[in-house]
Amino acid sequence: MLATQVCSYNHYSMWHKEGEFREPARGSIGGASAADRQRRLRSMLLARVFEQTLLRQPKPGFQLLSRGEEAVAVGVCAALERTDPLLCSGRSIAVALARGVPAGALLAELIGKDGGPNRGRAGRAHVSMPSVGLFGAHGVVGGNLTVAAGVALAQSQLQTGAVTCCVFGDGACGAGSLHETLNIAALWRLPLLLVCDNNGYAVSTPVREGLAFQGLTSIAGPFGVPATVVDGADVDAVAAAVGEAAAEIRAGKGPWFLELCCARLGSHSTLTREERPAAEVEASVAQQDPLRLYERRLRDDGMLDDALWTRMRADVDAEMADAARFVETSPWPDPREALLDV
Amino acid sequence: MSRLFFREALCRAMNEEMARDPRVILLGQDIAAHGGSYGETRGLFERFGAARVRNTPVAEAATVGIAAGAAAAGLRPLAFITYLDFLMLGLDPLVNYAAKLKFKSAGQLSAPLVVKATAGAKGQGPTHAQSIESWLMNVPGLTVLAPSTAGDAYGLLKTALRAPGPVVFIDHKRLFPLGGAVPDREELVAAGSAALRRDGRHVTIVAHSYMCVVALEAAELLAARGIEAEVIDLRSLWPIDWGMLADSARRTGHALFVEEGQEVCGVGAELAFGLRERVAGLCVSRLGARRAPVAASAVLEAYTIPQAHGIVEAALRLLGGAARK
Repeated sequence: MLATQVCSYNHYSMWHKEGEFREPARGSIGGASAADRQRRLRSMLLARVFEQTLLRQPKPGFQLLSRGEEAVAVGVCAALERTDPLLCSGRSIAVALARGVPAGALLAELIGKDGGPNRGRAGRAHVSMPSVGLFGAHGVVGGNLTVAAGVALAQSQLQTGAVTCCVFGDGACGAGSLHETLNIAALWRLPLLLVCDNNGYAVSTPVREGLAFQGLTSIAGPFGVPATVVDGADVDAVAAAVGEAAAEIRAGKGPWFLELCCARLGSHSTLTREERPAAEVEASVAQQDPLRLYERRLRDDGMLDDALWTRMRADVDAEMADAARFVETSPWPDPREALLDV
Repeated sequence: MSRLFFREALCRAMNEEMARDPRVILLGQDIAAHGGSYGETRGLFERFGAARVRNTPVAEAATVGIAAGAAAAGLRPLAFITYLDFLMLGLDPLVNYAAKLKFKSAGQLSAPLVVKATAGAKGQGPTHAQSIESWLMNVPGLTVLAPSTAGDAYGLLKTALRAPGPVVFIDHKRLFPLGGAVPDREELVAAGSAALRRDGRHVTIVAHSYMCVVALEAAELLAARGIEAEVIDLRSLWPIDWGMLADSARRTGHALFVEEGQEVCGVGAELAFGLRERVAGLCVSRLGARRAPVAASAVLEAYTIPQAHGIVEAALRLLGGAARK
């Protein structure tokens, strides 16, 4: 199968030549049951509604929204074990929710209140909740890559059998830390899954202007690290690819590089001007919204009808209403907490 | 007590801590079969094997980042940075990740790694000579240790390998070939404890790392002029042993801070200010490297870096040219 068929996006297809990359079992739902797939839909819906709730807060702050990238987060988390340490970039909302951080706690963290898993010290850029397998977001682009390799080294040394997964953006592919991480991870056969969430832009810079190499997975080749390109708007494809890669890694075959192509449906952050042409953004919203695509897919597959969809939305709305109430009642941190745990 | 070279004292500390705690691993360039750039890891690869004594490629950012991540996930890594100058490449994971991890996770995670880096000028020129430890003192969350004797190298490295959070352990090229007494029985030196190296009543000279050796030479020269200098070895740049420094400064009324790094925003700047807040009427001065890069030529290097005679002159200036009786 051709990468261009899997990822038909403008920013992507111009790069990839026929037969250049190995494909995962395309169209496979990775053994997911109807209930699994309904859970994936709900999980993506929760992230979407969460962000709408966040934006309605009196002071939503500087946030990087996951809108358009929910399938990456949900697919990755669906395929990993809870005991697999997961690290991610500062675009962490969908990842944290999919991993199991309670919506109210996450909202509190993002707003800076005491009820957050990190008591408001971390925010979206550094949120962590190791008890649910979220080892942590990190706000320095590319800064989590070497750290993730270290987490993977610890898994290997302590023989936990866990796969460490690091989700990072296409912008991090221009950082030297990726070169160093791929090199050492390959040399030491670290149990590390590198997941590039390629939304096509580093803030305002398109991939083709920011990276000289053609096709992001090609960077893995020289290190002998297997690489796969997958449609990052297709949650089943993501889960299947992550599952396949994780199984190889768990079998002791060393690191794997996965590129998940998707589209950012809004600007880089809540404070960043949108400079993409309106037509491009509109086209992405119309064609690459993972939530709408998946809703349609499940209807086509007979796993979703109006009644279930209505129930699911009401259920998510209720969860977010609870979350909003939790945040309202969560106190601000005592200012003196600013000096704790230093 | 045994007499060991500084590098042997480091090796003994690593040997003991690796035997004691299987989570301790070593990461760095040329540390395995080669035995370390300064011979300080000799025998460890043979004893503990390739999984625990890991040669890294020339990749300081990844070395520190991997050590930080491995520490956060349950190991106790010791990362070697051959020249402290090259720690600049690894500052992001050290400062932005490791030093903040306990804080930003609200105590759920921490990164107990040790970064061992070698400072100091010894003929290798602009980027293999710098003493940038004062930069590190500026970072909340880092412990910064810098021994000057073999005994302290042993005791402080053991402390570092058991510390709850990230430690930067700074040694010095000119210290490796020096010998010193190391206790035969296990003995740790606590972070935050300075050491009195020489008693004196006229002026307190505070130094760390190799500058302690130079400061002690200067104290001999001052003694010949009837000035009794008290020499304090800081050992721990953060936390600082304010108690010992203040006691001495109160007695002498004069404190001179000597360092191999730059004076501007240097160790001495911080210590002088902190001691002035604690000791009323204290007269202070500082002496660090002149404001220039370190040259390769020995003549130029010696002009840039404080020498014993320069310390004598600085002490005399501080005392107004005459010893107080």
